[in-house]
Amino acid sequence: MSRVVGIDLGTTNSLVAYVKEGAPVVIRDTTGDGLVPSVVTVDAGGTVYVGREAQRRLLTDAAHTAYSVKRFMGKGAADVVGEARYFPFRLSGDAVVRIGLGEREFTPPEISAFILRELKRRAEEHFAAQGEIDPEVDRAVITVPAYFNDAQRTATRDAGRIAGLEVLRIINEPTAASLAYGLDKQHTGIIAVYDLGGGTFDISILRVEDGVFQVLSTNGDTHLGGDDIDRLMMDKVFDQFVDGFTSADRIEDVYQTMRKDVIRAKCELSEREETSLFGRVWTRRELEDLIRPIVERTLGPCRQALADAALEPSQIDEVVLVGGSTRIPLVRRSVEALFGKTPHSELNPDEVVALGAAVQADILVTGNREMLLLDVTPLSLGIETMGGVMSKIILRNSTIPATGSELFTTFADNQTAVDIHVLQGERELVGDNRSLARFKLRGIPPMPAGLPRVQVQFQIDANGILSVTARELRTDIEQTIEVKPSYGLTDEQVEQMLVDSFEHAEADFAARLLIEARNEAETVIQATEKSLRAPEFAEIAASALAPGERERIEAALAELKALLNADQRDVLQQKTRALNEATQHLAEVMMNRSVHAALAGKSVTDL
Amino acid sequence: MSPPASAPTLQVCRECGAGAPLDAHFCPQCEKILSLGRQGDYFAFLGLPRKLRVDPADLERRFRELSRQFHPDYFYNAAPAERRASLERSSYLNDAYRTLRNPIARVDYLLSVEGMAPRTAQEAATQVPPALLEEVFDLNEELDEVRALRASGAPADAWKPRLERARAPIEAKRAAHAAQVDELSAQWDALVDSRADEATRRGVLTALRDRVLERNYINNLLAGIERELNS
Repeated sequence: MSRVVGIDLGTTNSLVAYVKEGAPVVIRDTTGDGLVPSVVTVDAGGTVYVGREAQRRLLTDAAHTAYSVKRFMGKGAADVVGEARYFPFRLSGDAVVRIGLGEREFTPPEISAFILRELKRRAEEHFAAQGEIDPEVDRAVITVPAYFNDAQRTATRDAGRIAGLEVLRIINEPTAASLAYGLDKQHTGIIAVYDLGGGTFDISILRVEDGVFQVLSTNGDTHLGGDDIDRLMMDKVFDQFVDGFTSADRIEDVYQTMRKDVIRAKCELSEREETSLFGRVWTRRELEDLIRPIVERTLGPCRQALADAALEPSQIDEVVLVGGSTRIPLVRRSVEALFGKTPHSELNPDEVVALGAAVQADILVTGNREMLLLDVTPLSLGIETMGGVMSKIILRNSTIPATGSELFTTFADNQTAVDIHVLQGERELVGDNRSLARFKLRGIPPMPAGLPRVQVQFQIDANGILSVTARELRTDIEQTIEVKPSYGLTDEQVEQMLVDSFEHAEADFAARLLIEARNEAETVIQATEKSLRAPEFAEIAASALAPGERERIEAALAELKALLNADQRDVLQQKTRALNEATQHLAEVMMNRSVHAALAGKSVTDL
Repeated sequence: MSPPASAPTLQVCRECGAGAPLDAHFCPQCEKILSLGRQGDYFAFLGLPRKLRVDPADLERRFRELSRQFHPDYFYNAAPAERRASLERSSYLNDAYRTLRNPIARVDYLLSVEGMAPRTAQEAATQVPPALLEEVFDLNEELDEVRALRASGAPADAWKPRLERARAPIEAKRAAHAAQVDELSAQWDALVDSRADEATRRGVLTALRDRVLERNYINNLLAGIERELNS
């Protein structure tokens, strides 16, 4: 039986987890790292790099590297015009954003699929190493922000399909987190989950009783997160750097190097009161003053979610923090002030969502009934009516799956088709809401105007994704529905992308070998540099090394370092071996000395 | 509270053909989840009598128990027909729970399953209920004067307090209505328990229906004042 996994497909980082002997665990690489940066490079030769390697390439090959792609899922080109200036890649397209990397273009689901395939591969390697008979991973639960609309959810499901995964279920990130938290304690009570990630913000309020995790309300902003904090800091850095030079006109690789340093400073200011950034001291107070408007933007959705659940802050029993941005002290203080409670953060806020997704995947395949997740639809669903007004059919915060239906008729004699425009959102006017799709109902039996009674049934499934069926009630004839999604890929496009992705598989294999060679080279370089810097090195060089040995080591080291970012794997391996050989004697000498040091002063009987 | 003679009293299991009671969720013979028929109502589905007083804790408990029985999560590996039935039953359960936990939606729903729903939404909005004639007359007079004031460029503090004052009697009317609906709800529940005759039942339902129409009208008036205040 192939394995199932839970995947947190994040804006900044992605993770994969599974349930091992009843408990969820994150799958890590050999260095213990569970995070795969959501960064993808497709270099000029078409080779794909994902994760840490792509993150490195962002500094040297920014024009071929995509990050924060989750912000573009389910969006059209017009939605993202204002954002293009913050990214090294081109943004174009129409109903679906296209991301330009060099000469190639990809949709956000395709870029996301590269990340998913990396996670799938990581999981399969893990299961193979554990000696599983069938280590293949072909099914997954994938998480999305609770406030994702239908188009964004569908785009996520498409990404799974392109990656060759059957998406068992799309679940909401805060709800997944609550599942992970509910595991060790038998909770009863009301929980608020505050989830501020790299690019999205969610608040969900749940009631937990008898193992049922019932979402009462949810709210959020799918365009608010750590990315926005980075941008504020970048703009400020540019402001004080040079006159008349802004973050909009820039040299890409320099910009990315600065961005990396800005993120470092941001993270450090969560740990201490001040840090230095580009030769200047930044205090935590200064950062807090800068980002206060962003933190305050999260409080409105929190209050709305409380109101929708008909609860006062004091009725919340526990508050849970999710997402890397909740490490920021100002965020914690603001959440604590709003709910009047110290928030929980026992579980790693970066990992808790993937753990919950793994639990849900396990529930689906094993039929384990200890826990049940009842989620809601975050946005009201409706249709366009006369005068450009939206008429709501399924209200926000309705438990899913949910249905709604509406009767339609004809305006002309013998009219056989009706157009229906489906929307999502809370506003009165059509133009202020999100267009989901336009449907054409066909095959209505010819009748005088106003006589047909076409019942259109809207079904939101447990993934929060909409499907539509229609039936003419007088004749009981099922109608065919032609769907034109407003923002999204057609089934044919997704199929084609799946086919295309196989072509990448070969190139990916080569890329993997190169990455492995590079990692090995880095390990040897680091070990050598450490030896050369060791306090006792001078003494060793004088007493134990042959004439010229030190120079040979330094030459081999320099050669390998020079090659590190080149793409020739065999040369890289050869030079790694050379450095290994050059340092072999030195390593032995140092090992001997440390063994002697450890044994010094101990008698044989102590051993 | 017996259904009309023509209504079906059994549903048929599509899996094995056995008959099952209307409020059953699983076939008594083959134990498969039953596909959702067109009969039945939210009360029966949740195993509740058709009463207006609902114990919230009891409703929550029933909702959780039924969710645990037929949520799609537990039918992931089942045959397509069972998966569809689980989706249908879960959706219906969620709709039922959402409707019955809200006291106002509950009254509206009872009226509709008893065949007493207002015919159209316009019915509530256009016709002034007789009991409200006096209030509506006063309010319209006040609104006209306020509009005239505003047209002549009067500052907000010249007309806003008048609108606030005009709202008070309408708010009072709404509170009185809520009390009347509570009273009628208690009466209705007693009739259900005593299996009262049809005419008596209709009498209470008609009174409830009039209150609902008035309440809708009052809400429209209040929304109108709100718009005037915020414009």
